[in-house]
Amino acid sequence: MSWLAVKAVISRELNKTFRQRGRLLSSLVRPLIWLLVIGSGVGSMLSGTQQEGYLQFLMPGIVAMTLLFAALLSALTLVYDKEFGVMRMMMIAPIAHGWIVVAKLIAATIIAMVQAVMLLVILLLIGLLDWQTALLLLPPALLTALLCASMGGLIAVWSKTLDNFAVIMNFVIFPVFFLSGALYPVTQLPDMLRYIVLVNPFGYGVDLLKHSIPGSQTDFSIITDLSVLIVFTIAAILIACWRFSRESVHEPLFRGGKKG
Amino acid sequence: MASELAIQSYGLTKQYGEAVVVNDLNLQVKAGECYGLLGPNGAGKSTAIHMLTTMTSPTSGDALICGQAVTDNPVHIRSLVGLVFQDSALDRTMTVDENLHFAAALYGLKKQQASERIDELLAVFNLEKKRHLKLLALSGGQRRAVDIARGVLHKPQVLFLDEPTIGLDLPNRRAIWRFVEQLRREQGMTVFLTTHYLEEAVACDQVDFIQQGKLQKGGKPTSLIRDLAAYIMELDCADSDAVAAQLTPQFGAPLIEDQHLSFRVQNAETDFSALQRSLGDTVNAMQWRRPNLNDVYLWSMTHHKAGVQ
Repeated sequence: MSWLAVKAVISRELNKTFRQRGRLLSSLVRPLIWLLVIGSGVGSMLSGTQQEGYLQFLMPGIVAMTLLFAALLSALTLVYDKEFGVMRMMMIAPIAHGWIVVAKLIAATIIAMVQAVMLLVILLLIGLLDWQTALLLLPPALLTALLCASMGGLIAVWSKTLDNFAVIMNFVIFPVFFLSGALYPVTQLPDMLRYIVLVNPFGYGVDLLKHSIPGSQTDFSIITDLSVLIVFTIAAILIACWRFSRESVHEPLFRGGKKG
Repeated sequence: MASELAIQSYGLTKQYGEAVVVNDLNLQVKAGECYGLLGPNGAGKSTAIHMLTTMTSPTSGDALICGQAVTDNPVHIRSLVGLVFQDSALDRTMTVDENLHFAAALYGLKKQQASERIDELLAVFNLEKKRHLKLLALSGGQRRAVDIARGVLHKPQVLFLDEPTIGLDLPNRRAIWRFVEQLRREQGMTVFLTTHYLEEAVACDQVDFIQQGKLQKGGKPTSLIRDLAAYIMELDCADSDAVAAQLTPQFGAPLIEDQHLSFRVQNAETDFSALQRSLGDTVNAMQWRRPNLNDVYLWSMTHHKAGVQ
């Protein structure tokens, strides 16, 4: 395996992302709107101490949301590269195809972490967070970013074009986010929704982030969160690598046919 | 090179559902040769290339590159081959330099080594001044040149060119073929190409034809042209069936396209002027010329079709 090749794929992703500074800055707008507008709006319906508590409750969920959108969308560049033919440049190189997926997911994780750190800095500056808590949030944020990237990878290896992007947004990102306990405690959800939350791996990432906020209400133990995150991430990466290794440059031309 | 044969394939077949895209492909290309696989669109040329370069797995059969089975160690095979795809594999949002450095890193070339090689290739294609431009800002010919430069960055032993000059004007096509010839001459690179411009395949050491996934053995282009006929005689006539019936006993069955007939004339001493006079008003126009690879291709495909039916 050539580390140089893996490094090249990662560097290309990072260069392309960080070159678009506008996109990077605008990625912070969504979580800040959620935190400051939704958080304050919902909080205003609560009494004084509960209001402050809700902002504290919301903060890890909003960090998780930043990680989810950034990592998942970055992982989906795999589809972009397939659709525009650039993937063939990587596939013809002497590197096992699974490593292309791994490199893409590492890049997606780094991009998500950079955006999360930028958000944490803003929260520090506006006084919603202290240094210790910010530092405590980093390890669970890294695990959650890896999880989200692996989820994105799993979707990307099965997608042929970006046409179904809206489908992914509506049927993957939004349900995964809303049914994760990021905005409200899982325990207060109706039974059926609570079961869905239990099988949503992102919910365990949100819960692990909540463990870093002193006094925050959590739904699972740290061991449970860590176990689910690690097992799901590894399984998703292995499946994505396996699926991508079986992919050939011809397949899109024969979408209706079955591989012989 | 470990094997004298750079490319070998035995019963190589690719099937998608009921569709057999490549059917029992048997090839042998010697190291250092230039080989052309010619055929119409959808004949299976690209699929054959993709199987030989590990880009798609065969349904059955096997292939060897420099003596090593493509299915045994695909990663190693990819280090031996270069592939220029039919349409660009470059990132249009990146500059020429960024694209080539990215490709070089994928092949494990260190920065210094990559820079030297990229400088060398950009000089060959006269693209030094364009290196900091995005691909989008280049002409079609320049983009193709960058694509080819990407394919040969790592000095592959076998270079696969899938329609390398498609859509290019004559000067660009000539520049690309000059470069390919230079690679063969200086590096002993084996070249496997497909092209629609059959006149370009005349420079190949060996060509074969493929239709509906089935290979039809060709040979050396100059020999194929020589063996086809001394002349090709073309006639335009209102009643092509009558003229065909009249001339077939003398020249053999013609190729018929509407009112246009093409005959192979084996006797170089044929008196075409006398023949034209004898045909009189039954023929609107008549010309005779030396055959070329297009004729070999057309006759080969026609006979292949007849055989299949």
